[in-house]
Amino acid sequence: MDEVAAAQGARAVVADLTKPEGVDAVLDAAGGDVAVLVNNAGITRDARATKMEESAFAAVIEINLVAAMRLTLALEPRYRDGAAVINMSSRASLGNFGQANYSASKSGLVGFGRALAQRWAPRVRINAVAPSLVDTPMTQAMPPEVLEKMVARIPAGRIGSPDDVAGIVAFLATPAAAYITGQVLFACGGRSVAP
Amino acid sequence: MSAERGDILVLRPGSVGDDLDAVTPALTEAFVAAREALGAGRPVAVVVDARDLLGQGSPLDAAVATGLLGMVRTLGIEGVKAGWSINVIAGGEGDEAAVEETLAMLAGSSSVTGQLLTVGGANLGKVVP
Repeated sequence: MDEVAAAQGARAVVADLTKPEGVDAVLDAAGGDVAVLVNNAGITRDARATKMEESAFAAVIEINLVAAMRLTLALEPRYRDGAAVINMSSRASLGNFGQANYSASKSGLVGFGRALAQRWAPRVRINAVAPSLVDTPMTQAMPPEVLEKMVARIPAGRIGSPDDVAGIVAFLATPAAAYITGQVLFACGGRSVAP
Repeated sequence: MSAERGDILVLRPGSVGDDLDAVTPALTEAFVAAREALGAGRPVAVVVDARDLLGQGSPLDAAVATGLLGMVRTLGIEGVKAGWSINVIAGGEGDEAAVEETLAMLAGSSSVTGQLLTVGGANLGKVVP
């Protein structure tokens, strides 16, 4: 991770954002002139609701939603004018079989962002990106026939690439998106409107 | 958070204010209560403030309200075959009678599920949450 960060002229910090000391570690590294925050950390603990452990529901909420909110709020005095916060939501925020916990966490991030966008405007913009299937080690581990069926439901006809999502995040972080706040951009190849 | 109302379980999240530690319990307790009721064949309605769905109040209350909406939509998907009925009702100030009317409708119907029912004129002209 240090190597990847260094290649970008950056520094990597590993922290557990569910703990105050983890947030402190990021705050120490962030300094006092934060231009962009991307809340990208997340986990899944999928199961049908009837089989889902209460602890699995709570863990996903705690990491995907509460940890992101904790860090976003803790950075409030450090954002520069015109800073951008981008929350990684998901197409699953609209509902997804086996993901009651994940849907709640990603939908909750959208509401949180809408509220902060109004509270912190015009100093800081807050938006969300909601991807669908993205080509990552997690999806690469899925049975090919399952993946094929899922891709067949995406009007774009293909799985999303990390660059598809990164490009939108980068756009939202720039002054080109200066008039966009409190919004959700679905980067899902049309999946959110398809049957 | 929950209240019995005839055969329908009504979940009304209270405000969590600025308490981050209250968010996970609020959502988790709602999930557990909703699942139990649905498993017993009872319909469930989550009643939220329409303003929270658009983030017009506390950021954490918005997170809870929209989080519940996401959860309801997934439970709606999962329970179609089993005939579960779980929905969100969103109303604004002065919409109490409309909320009650909608609750009565949902208590007698299993054909509506996973939906956001916004009553009165709340959020008209705004983005659909």
